[in-house]
Amino acid sequence: MARDETFKHEVLRLAGAEVLTCIQCGTCSASCPTAHLMNPSIRRLIKLCLEGKKKEALHNETLWLCTSCLLCTVRCPRGIRPKAVVSALKDIAERAGLRSKDAAYEQFFLKQIKDYGRIAELALTGEFLLVFPQGAVQSMQMGLELLPRGKIDLKIEKIKGRDEVKRIVEELSK
Amino acid sequence: MKLAYYPGCVSQSTGKEMDASTRAVCLALGIELVELDDWNCCGATHVSNELVATGLAARNMARTDLPIMTACSICYSNLRAAAQRLEETETREKVNAVLDKKYSGARVRHALDVILEALAENDERIVVPLKELKVAPYYGCLLTRPTGLYSPQFPSILEKLIKRLQAEPVEFRLKTFCCGGPIFMPQEKAAEEIAFKILWEAKKAGAEVIVTVCPLCHLMLDAKQKVLEQKHGEKIGIPVLYVTQLAGIALGLGPEELGLEMNSVSPMAMVERVYERMAEGI
Repeated sequence: MARDETFKHEVLRLAGAEVLTCIQCGTCSASCPTAHLMNPSIRRLIKLCLEGKKKEALHNETLWLCTSCLLCTVRCPRGIRPKAVVSALKDIAERAGLRSKDAAYEQFFLKQIKDYGRIAELALTGEFLLVFPQGAVQSMQMGLELLPRGKIDLKIEKIKGRDEVKRIVEELSK
Repeated sequence: MKLAYYPGCVSQSTGKEMDASTRAVCLALGIELVELDDWNCCGATHVSNELVATGLAARNMARTDLPIMTACSICYSNLRAAAQRLEETETREKVNAVLDKKYSGARVRHALDVILEALAENDERIVVPLKELKVAPYYGCLLTRPTGLYSPQFPSILEKLIKRLQAEPVEFRLKTFCCGGPIFMPQEKAAEEIAFKILWEAKKAGAEVIVTVCPLCHLMLDAKQKVLEQKHGEKIGIPVLYVTQLAGIALGLGPEELGLEMNSVSPMAMVERVYERMAEGI
Protein backbone atom coordinates (compact mmCIF):
# COMPACT_ATOMS: atom_id res chain seq x y z
CA MET A 1 0.00 0.00 0.00
CA ALA A 2 1.21 3.50 -0.82
CA ARG A 3 2.50 5.76 1.92
CA ASP A 4 0.04 8.39 3.01
CA GLU A 5 2.36 11.32 3.67
CA THR A 6 -0.50 13.67 4.58
CA PHE A 7 -1.59 11.30 7.32
CA LYS A 8 1.95 10.97 8.62
CA HIS A 9 2.34 14.73 8.80
CA GLU A 10 -0.97 15.15 10.57
CA VAL A 11 0.20 12.72 13.25
CA LEU A 12 3.48 14.61 13.58
CA ARG A 13 1.64 17.93 13.80
CA LEU A 14 -0.58 16.66 16.60
CA ALA A 15 1.86 14.46 18.54
CA GLY A 16 5.15 16.27 17.92
CA ALA A 17 7.90 16.03 15.30
CA GLU A 18 10.09 14.05 17.71
CA VAL A 19 8.05 10.97 16.76
CA LEU A 20 10.36 10.86 13.71
CA THR A 21 13.26 9.98 15.99
CA CYS A 22 11.70 6.70 17.18
CA ILE A 23 14.30 3.91 17.29
CA GLN A 24 11.72 1.14 17.78
CA CYS A 25 13.29 0.07 21.07
CA GLY A 26 9.96 -1.08 22.51
CA THR A 27 10.27 0.62 25.89
CA CYS A 28 6.73 1.94 25.37
CA SER A 29 5.30 -1.53 24.79
CA ALA A 30 7.25 -2.96 27.72
CA SER A 31 5.78 -0.26 30.00
CA CYS A 32 2.19 -0.55 28.86
CA PRO A 33 -0.33 -2.11 31.30
CA THR A 34 -2.49 -3.42 28.45
CA ALA A 35 0.32 -4.33 26.02
CA HIS A 36 -0.53 -8.03 26.12
CA LEU A 37 -3.97 -7.28 24.68
CA MET A 38 -2.76 -4.96 21.93
CA ASN A 39 -2.32 -5.83 18.29
CA PRO A 40 -0.48 -3.95 16.86
CA SER A 41 1.67 -3.08 19.87
CA ILE A 42 2.22 0.57 20.70
CA ARG A 43 5.75 0.32 19.26
CA ARG A 44 4.39 -1.06 16.00
CA LEU A 45 1.63 1.56 15.95
CA ILE A 46 4.26 4.30 15.87
CA LYS A 47 6.00 2.52 13.01
CA LEU A 48 2.74 2.35 11.06
CA CYS A 49 2.31 6.11 11.46
CA LEU A 50 5.83 6.80 10.22
CA GLU A 51 5.22 4.50 7.25
CA GLY A 52 2.05 6.43 6.46
CA LYS A 53 -0.11 3.32 6.81
CA LYS A 54 -3.25 5.19 7.69
CA LYS A 55 -5.77 2.40 7.55
CA GLU A 56 -3.79 -0.01 9.71
CA ALA A 57 -2.94 2.75 12.18
CA LEU A 58 -6.55 3.83 12.63
CA HIS A 59 -8.50 0.59 12.48
CA ASN A 60 -7.40 -1.37 15.50
CA GLU A 61 -8.27 -1.95 19.13
CA THR A 62 -4.88 -0.69 20.34
CA LEU A 63 -5.99 2.96 20.36
CA TRP A 64 -8.86 2.11 22.66
CA LEU A 65 -6.86 -0.08 25.03
CA CYS A 66 -4.62 2.82 26.00
CA THR A 67 -5.44 3.83 29.58
CA SER A 68 -3.57 7.17 29.31
CA CYS A 69 -1.31 6.09 32.18
CA LEU A 70 1.66 7.88 30.56
CA LEU A 71 4.32 5.37 31.65
CA CYS A 72 5.39 5.14 27.98
CA THR A 73 5.70 8.90 27.88
CA VAL A 74 7.89 9.28 30.95
CA ARG A 75 10.09 6.36 29.92
CA CYS A 76 10.71 6.93 26.19
CA PRO A 77 14.47 7.40 25.72
CA ARG A 78 13.83 9.65 22.71
CA GLY A 79 11.45 11.98 24.50
CA ILE A 80 8.56 10.88 22.30
CA ARG A 81 5.08 10.86 23.82
CA PRO A 82 3.54 7.60 22.57
CA LYS A 83 0.28 8.41 24.36
CA ALA A 84 0.11 11.64 22.36
CA VAL A 85 0.42 9.52 19.20
CA VAL A 86 -2.56 7.48 20.38
CA SER A 87 -4.50 10.68 21.10
CA ALA A 88 -3.61 12.06 17.67
CA LEU A 89 -4.89 8.89 16.01
CA LYS A 90 -8.11 8.99 18.03
CA ASP A 91 -8.57 12.63 17.09
CA ILE A 92 -8.04 11.83 13.39
CA ALA A 93 -10.37 8.83 13.61
CA GLU A 94 -13.08 10.83 15.34
CA ARG A 95 -12.88 13.68 12.85
CA ALA A 96 -13.04 11.18 9.99
CA GLY A 97 -16.27 9.89 11.50
CA LEU A 98 -14.89 6.44 12.30
CA ARG A 99 -17.53 4.54 14.23
CA SER A 100 -16.87 2.15 17.09
CA LYS A 101 -18.17 1.75 20.61
CA ASP A 102 -15.00 3.29 22.01
CA ALA A 103 -15.10 6.28 19.67
CA ALA A 104 -18.77 6.73 20.59
CA TYR A 105 -17.88 6.91 24.29
CA GLU A 106 -15.40 9.71 23.66
CA GLN A 107 -17.85 11.53 21.42
CA PHE A 108 -20.59 11.42 24.08
CA PHE A 109 -18.08 12.65 26.63
CA LEU A 110 -17.11 15.63 24.51
CA LYS A 111 -20.73 16.36 23.64
CA GLN A 112 -21.57 16.59 27.35
CA ILE A 113 -18.73 19.02 27.88
CA LYS A 114 -20.03 21.10 24.97
CA ASP A 115 -23.65 21.00 26.09
CA TYR A 116 -23.32 21.25 29.88
CA GLY A 117 -19.72 22.23 30.61
CA ARG A 118 -19.49 19.25 32.97
CA ILE A 119 -19.94 15.49 32.93
CA ALA A 120 -23.15 13.91 34.17
CA GLU A 121 -22.05 10.29 34.65
CA LEU A 122 -25.53 8.79 34.65
CA ALA A 123 -26.56 10.41 31.37
CA LEU A 124 -23.20 9.51 29.82
CA THR A 125 -23.63 5.87 30.78
CA GLY A 126 -27.19 5.86 29.44
CA GLU A 127 -26.16 7.26 26.08
CA PHE A 128 -23.30 4.80 25.83
CA LEU A 129 -25.50 1.81 26.59
CA LEU A 130 -27.74 2.72 23.67
CA VAL A 131 -24.85 2.02 21.30
CA PHE A 132 -23.26 -0.73 23.40
CA PRO A 133 -25.94 -2.67 25.27
CA GLN A 134 -23.36 -5.35 26.18
CA GLY A 135 -22.12 -2.91 28.82
CA ALA A 136 -25.43 -3.13 30.69
CA VAL A 137 -24.40 -5.85 33.15
CA GLN A 138 -21.35 -3.94 34.31
CA SER A 139 -23.34 -0.71 34.54
CA MET A 140 -26.10 -2.39 36.56
CA GLN A 141 -23.56 -3.82 39.00
CA MET A 142 -21.97 -0.42 39.36
CA GLY A 143 -25.35 1.25 39.74
CA LEU A 144 -26.38 -1.14 42.52
CA GLU A 145 -23.14 -0.37 44.28
CA LEU A 146 -23.34 3.41 43.96
CA LEU A 147 -27.06 4.22 44.18
CA PRO A 148 -27.64 3.22 47.84
CA ARG A 149 -24.59 5.27 48.80
CA GLY A 150 -26.02 8.40 47.20
CA LYS A 151 -23.25 8.50 44.64
CA ILE A 152 -25.36 8.71 41.52
CA ASP A 153 -26.38 12.23 40.68
CA LEU A 154 -29.75 12.26 38.96
CA LYS A 155 -29.69 15.89 37.92
CA ILE A 156 -27.59 17.36 35.16
CA GLU A 157 -25.57 20.40 36.21
CA LYS A 158 -25.13 23.02 33.54
CA ILE A 159 -22.57 25.77 33.93
CA LYS A 160 -23.20 29.38 32.96
CA GLY A 161 -20.23 29.59 30.62
CA ARG A 162 -21.54 26.97 28.20
CA ASP A 163 -21.08 29.20 25.14
CA GLU A 164 -17.47 29.77 26.04
CA VAL A 165 -16.84 26.06 26.56
CA LYS A 166 -18.53 25.25 23.26
CA ARG A 167 -16.29 27.79 21.58
CA ILE A 168 -13.19 26.19 23.18
CA VAL A 169 -14.17 22.76 21.87
CA GLU A 170 -15.17 23.88 18.40
CA GLU A 171 -12.57 26.54 17.63
CA LEU A 172 -9.54 24.79 19.10
CA SER A 173 -10.21 21.45 17.42
CA LYS A 174 -9.96 23.00 13.96
CA MET B 1 -3.87 29.86 53.84
CA LYS B 2 -6.44 30.55 51.16
CA LEU B 3 -6.78 28.42 48.02
CA ALA B 4 -9.11 28.20 45.06
CA TYR B 5 -10.79 24.79 45.11
CA TYR B 6 -11.53 22.89 41.91
CA PRO B 7 -13.82 20.00 42.90
CA GLY B 8 -14.09 18.31 39.47
CA CYS B 9 -17.16 16.56 38.03
CA VAL B 10 -16.97 13.44 40.20
CA SER B 11 -17.38 15.55 43.32
CA GLN B 12 -21.09 15.60 42.48
CA SER B 13 -21.40 11.84 42.04
CA THR B 14 -19.00 8.89 42.41
CA GLY B 15 -16.45 10.97 44.31
CA LYS B 16 -18.75 12.62 46.87
CA GLU B 17 -16.70 11.32 49.78
CA MET B 18 -13.55 12.72 48.16
CA ASP B 19 -15.16 16.15 48.09
CA ALA B 20 -16.62 15.92 51.61
CA SER B 21 -13.37 14.73 53.19
CA THR B 22 -11.30 17.32 51.31
CA ARG B 23 -13.46 20.15 52.61
CA ALA B 24 -13.55 18.70 56.14
CA VAL B 25 -9.79 18.18 56.39
CA CYS B 26 -9.00 21.63 55.02
CA LEU B 27 -11.39 23.17 57.53
CA ALA B 28 -9.71 21.26 60.36
CA LEU B 29 -6.28 22.42 59.20
CA GLY B 30 -7.30 26.05 58.85
CA ILE B 31 -7.02 26.08 55.05
CA GLU B 32 -9.66 28.28 53.50
CA LEU B 33 -11.11 26.96 50.24
CA VAL B 34 -12.92 29.20 47.78
CA GLU B 35 -14.71 27.10 45.18
CA LEU B 36 -13.77 28.08 41.64
CA ASP B 37 -16.68 29.97 40.16
CA ASP B 38 -18.54 28.23 37.29
CA TRP B 39 -15.77 25.66 36.74
CA ASN B 40 -15.93 23.24 33.81
CA CYS B 41 -14.87 19.63 33.18
CA CYS B 42 -11.12 19.20 32.62
CA GLY B 43 -11.76 16.67 29.86
CA ALA B 44 -10.41 13.80 31.97
CA THR B 45 -8.66 11.26 29.73
CA HIS B 46 -11.29 11.46 27.01
CA VAL B 47 -10.46 14.61 25.08
CA SER B 48 -8.04 13.50 22.38
CA ASN B 49 -7.31 16.91 20.94
CA GLU B 50 -4.54 18.40 23.06
CA LEU B 51 -5.35 22.01 22.25
CA VAL B 52 -9.00 21.53 23.27
CA ALA B 53 -7.88 19.90 26.53
CA THR B 54 -5.52 22.83 27.10
CA GLY B 55 -8.36 25.30 26.46
CA LEU B 56 -10.69 23.55 28.91
CA ALA B 57 -8.02 23.64 31.61
CA ALA B 58 -7.13 27.25 30.82
CA ARG B 59 -10.72 28.41 31.31
CA ASN B 60 -10.64 26.96 34.83
CA MET B 61 -7.21 28.34 35.67
CA ALA B 62 -8.09 31.83 34.41
CA ARG B 63 -10.93 32.07 36.93
CA THR B 64 -8.75 32.90 39.94
CA ASP B 65 -5.53 34.53 41.06
CA LEU B 66 -5.17 32.14 43.99
CA PRO B 67 -3.27 28.85 43.79
CA ILE B 68 -5.72 26.15 42.66
CA MET B 69 -6.15 22.96 44.67
CA THR B 70 -7.86 19.78 43.52
CA ALA B 71 -8.12 16.38 45.18
CA CYS B 72 -8.51 14.57 41.84
CA SER B 73 -5.32 13.42 40.16
CA ILE B 74 -6.91 13.51 36.72
CA CYS B 75 -7.88 17.17 37.07
CA TYR B 76 -4.48 17.85 38.63
CA SER B 77 -2.57 16.22 35.79
CA ASN B 78 -4.62 17.97 33.12
CA LEU B 79 -4.28 21.39 34.69
CA ARG B 80 -0.56 21.04 35.21
CA ALA B 81 0.09 19.67 31.71
CA ALA B 82 -1.98 22.51 30.25
CA ALA B 83 -0.11 25.12 32.32
CA GLN B 84 3.12 23.78 30.88
CA ARG B 85 1.83 23.94 27.29
CA LEU B 86 0.48 27.43 27.90
CA GLU B 87 4.01 28.65 28.54
CA GLU B 88 4.46 28.52 24.77
CA THR B 89 3.39 31.86 23.35
CA GLU B 90 1.70 30.38 20.27
CA THR B 91 -0.44 28.00 22.32
CA ARG B 92 -1.34 30.68 24.85
CA GLU B 93 -2.39 33.10 22.11
CA LYS B 94 -4.55 30.53 20.36
CA VAL B 95 -6.24 29.59 23.64
CA ASN B 96 -6.69 33.14 24.88
CA ALA B 97 -8.34 34.06 21.58
CA VAL B 98 -11.36 31.94 22.55
CA LEU B 99 -11.44 32.60 26.31
CA ASP B 100 -13.55 35.26 28.02
CA LYS B 101 -11.14 35.69 30.97
CA LYS B 102 -7.59 35.42 29.64
CA TYR B 103 -5.06 32.97 31.04
CA SER B 104 -1.90 34.48 32.48
CA GLY B 105 -0.35 31.73 34.59
CA ALA B 106 -1.45 29.50 37.45
CA ARG B 107 -0.17 27.42 40.32
CA VAL B 108 -1.87 24.02 40.63
CA ARG B 109 -1.66 21.90 43.77
CA HIS B 110 -2.96 18.51 44.84
CA ALA B 111 -4.74 18.16 48.19
CA LEU B 112 -2.12 15.59 49.21
CA ASP B 113 0.68 18.11 48.93
CA VAL B 114 -1.35 20.84 50.66
CA ILE B 115 -2.18 18.57 53.62
CA LEU B 116 1.37 17.34 54.00
CA GLU B 117 2.64 20.91 54.04
CA ALA B 118 0.07 21.92 56.66
CA LEU B 119 0.94 19.07 59.04
CA ALA B 120 4.05 19.31 61.16
CA GLU B 121 5.88 16.22 62.42
CA ASN B 122 4.10 15.08 65.60
CA ASP B 123 1.44 17.71 64.88
CA GLU B 124 -0.78 18.07 67.95
CA ARG B 125 -3.86 18.10 65.71
CA ILE B 126 -3.24 14.41 64.99
CA VAL B 127 -5.42 13.28 67.88
CA VAL B 128 -5.89 9.74 66.55
CA PRO B 129 -2.43 8.53 65.53
CA LEU B 130 -2.79 5.64 63.09
CA LYS B 131 -0.23 3.54 64.92
CA GLU B 132 0.58 0.13 63.41
CA LEU B 133 -1.92 0.65 60.61
CA LYS B 134 -0.53 -0.95 57.46
CA VAL B 135 -1.30 1.29 54.51
CA ALA B 136 -0.71 0.54 50.82
CA PRO B 137 0.25 3.85 49.14
CA TYR B 138 -1.41 3.71 45.74
CA TYR B 139 -0.40 6.62 43.51
CA GLY B 140 -1.84 5.43 40.23
CA CYS B 141 -0.73 7.40 37.19
CA LEU B 142 -1.71 10.98 37.04
CA LEU B 143 -0.57 12.46 40.35
CA THR B 144 2.97 12.09 39.09
CA ARG B 145 2.61 12.02 35.31
CA PRO B 146 3.34 13.73 33.00
CA THR B 147 4.43 16.78 35.02
CA GLY B 148 3.71 16.21 38.70
CA LEU B 149 5.89 17.61 41.43
CA TYR B 150 7.12 14.16 42.28
CA SER B 151 9.16 11.42 40.63
CA PRO B 152 6.97 9.98 37.85
CA GLN B 153 7.93 6.39 38.65
CA PHE B 154 9.35 6.32 42.16
CA PRO B 155 7.47 8.90 44.21
CA SER B 156 7.50 8.85 48.02
CA ILE B 157 5.23 11.71 49.07
CA LEU B 158 2.33 9.40 50.02
CA GLU B 159 4.62 7.34 52.22
CA LYS B 160 5.75 10.58 53.83
CA LEU B 161 2.17 11.59 54.64
CA ILE B 162 1.30 8.08 55.88
CA LYS B 163 4.26 8.22 58.26
CA ARG B 164 3.28 11.69 59.42
CA LEU B 165 -0.11 10.26 60.38
CA GLN B 166 1.97 7.70 62.30
CA ALA B 167 0.83 4.78 60.16
CA GLU B 168 3.10 2.31 58.33
CA PRO B 169 3.40 2.32 54.54
CA VAL B 170 3.79 -1.21 53.12
CA GLU B 171 6.14 -2.10 50.27
CA PHE B 172 3.83 -1.97 47.30
CA ARG B 173 5.36 -2.88 43.96
CA LEU B 174 2.46 -1.72 41.78
CA LYS B 175 2.04 1.66 43.44
CA THR B 176 2.39 3.65 40.21
CA PHE B 177 0.78 1.06 37.92
CA CYS B 178 -2.48 1.99 36.20
CA CYS B 179 -5.84 0.90 37.67
CA GLY B 180 -7.46 0.59 34.22
CA GLY B 181 -10.14 3.12 35.12
CA PRO B 182 -10.08 5.31 32.00
CA ILE B 183 -11.15 2.41 29.77
CA PHE B 184 -13.50 0.58 32.13
CA MET B 185 -16.69 1.43 30.25
CA PRO B 186 -15.80 0.37 26.69
CA GLN B 187 -13.02 -2.12 27.60
CA GLU B 188 -14.35 -3.75 30.75
CA LYS B 189 -12.29 -6.95 30.67
CA ALA B 190 -8.92 -5.27 30.17
CA ALA B 191 -9.63 -2.73 32.91
CA GLU B 192 -10.80 -5.32 35.42
CA GLU B 193 -7.77 -7.48 34.81
CA ILE B 194 -5.33 -4.75 35.81
CA ALA B 195 -7.45 -3.47 38.71
CA PHE B 196 -7.47 -6.95 40.22
CA LYS B 197 -3.67 -7.17 39.95
CA ILE B 198 -3.37 -4.08 42.13
CA LEU B 199 -5.80 -5.36 44.77
CA TRP B 200 -4.05 -8.72 44.85
CA GLU B 201 -0.65 -7.06 45.22
CA ALA B 202 -1.96 -4.91 48.11
CA LYS B 203 -3.30 -8.01 49.82
CA LYS B 204 0.00 -9.86 49.41
CA ALA B 205 1.78 -6.82 50.87
CA GLY B 206 -0.32 -7.18 54.03
CA ALA B 207 -2.20 -3.91 53.67
CA GLU B 208 -5.10 -3.18 56.03
CA VAL B 209 -6.15 -0.27 53.85
CA ILE B 210 -5.28 1.12 50.42
CA VAL B 211 -5.01 4.86 50.09
CA THR B 212 -5.74 6.60 46.77
CA VAL B 213 -5.41 10.10 45.36
CA CYS B 214 -7.74 9.70 42.37
CA PRO B 215 -11.50 9.10 42.13
CA LEU B 216 -11.16 6.72 39.20
CA CYS B 217 -8.62 4.57 41.05
CA HIS B 218 -11.02 4.65 43.96
CA LEU B 219 -13.95 3.53 41.82
CA MET B 220 -11.97 0.63 40.35
CA LEU B 221 -10.54 -0.60 43.65
CA ASP B 222 -13.46 0.13 45.98
CA ALA B 223 -16.77 0.12 44.09
CA LYS B 224 -15.62 -2.72 41.86
CA GLN B 225 -13.90 -4.77 44.54
CA LYS B 226 -16.86 -7.07 45.19
CA VAL B 227 -17.36 -7.83 41.49
CA LEU B 228 -13.64 -8.45 41.04
CA GLU B 229 -13.64 -10.82 44.03
CA GLN B 230 -16.54 -12.77 42.51
CA LYS B 231 -14.94 -12.96 39.07
CA HIS B 232 -11.60 -14.17 40.43
CA GLY B 233 -12.95 -16.33 43.25
CA GLU B 234 -10.62 -14.60 45.71
CA LYS B 235 -11.46 -12.60 48.81
CA ILE B 236 -9.76 -9.21 49.05
CA GLY B 237 -11.77 -7.29 51.67
CA ILE B 238 -9.46 -4.28 51.90
CA PRO B 239 -11.05 -0.86 52.40
CA VAL B 240 -9.89 1.84 50.00
CA LEU B 241 -9.71 5.38 51.37
CA TYR B 242 -9.01 8.70 49.77
CA VAL B 243 -5.91 10.26 51.24
CA THR B 244 -8.15 13.01 52.63
CA GLN B 245 -10.29 10.40 54.44
CA LEU B 246 -7.23 8.78 56.00
CA ALA B 247 -5.86 12.14 57.11
CA GLY B 248 -9.31 13.05 58.46
CA ILE B 249 -9.44 9.93 60.64
CA ALA B 250 -6.09 10.87 62.16
CA LEU B 251 -7.35 14.40 62.77
CA GLY B 252 -10.21 12.92 64.77
CA LEU B 253 -12.96 13.76 62.27
CA GLY B 254 -16.08 11.59 62.27
CA PRO B 255 -17.36 9.09 59.69
CA GLU B 256 -20.07 11.46 58.53
CA GLU B 257 -17.77 14.40 57.88
CA LEU B 258 -15.43 12.13 55.94
CA GLY B 259 -18.15 10.32 54.01
CA LEU B 260 -16.91 6.95 55.30
CA GLU B 261 -20.35 5.40 54.90
CA MET B 262 -20.16 6.10 51.17
CA ASN B 263 -17.26 3.69 50.66
CA SER B 264 -18.25 0.33 49.19
CA VAL B 265 -15.87 -1.75 51.28
CA SER B 266 -16.65 -0.50 54.77
CA PRO B 267 -13.64 0.97 56.54
CA MET B 268 -15.42 0.96 59.91
CA ALA B 269 -13.76 -2.19 61.30
CA MET B 270 -10.40 -0.69 60.39
CA VAL B 271 -11.32 2.60 62.09
CA GLU B 272 -12.37 0.71 65.22
CA ARG B 273 -9.02 -1.08 65.26
CA VAL B 274 -7.26 2.28 65.11
CA TYR B 275 -9.27 3.53 68.11
CA GLU B 276 -8.71 0.27 70.03
CA ARG B 277 -4.95 0.47 69.51
CA MET B 278 -5.03 4.05 70.73
CA ALA B 279 -7.01 3.02 73.85
CA GLU B 280 -4.50 0.25 74.53
CA GLY B 281 -1.76 2.86 74.39
CA ILE B 282 0.09 1.34 71.46
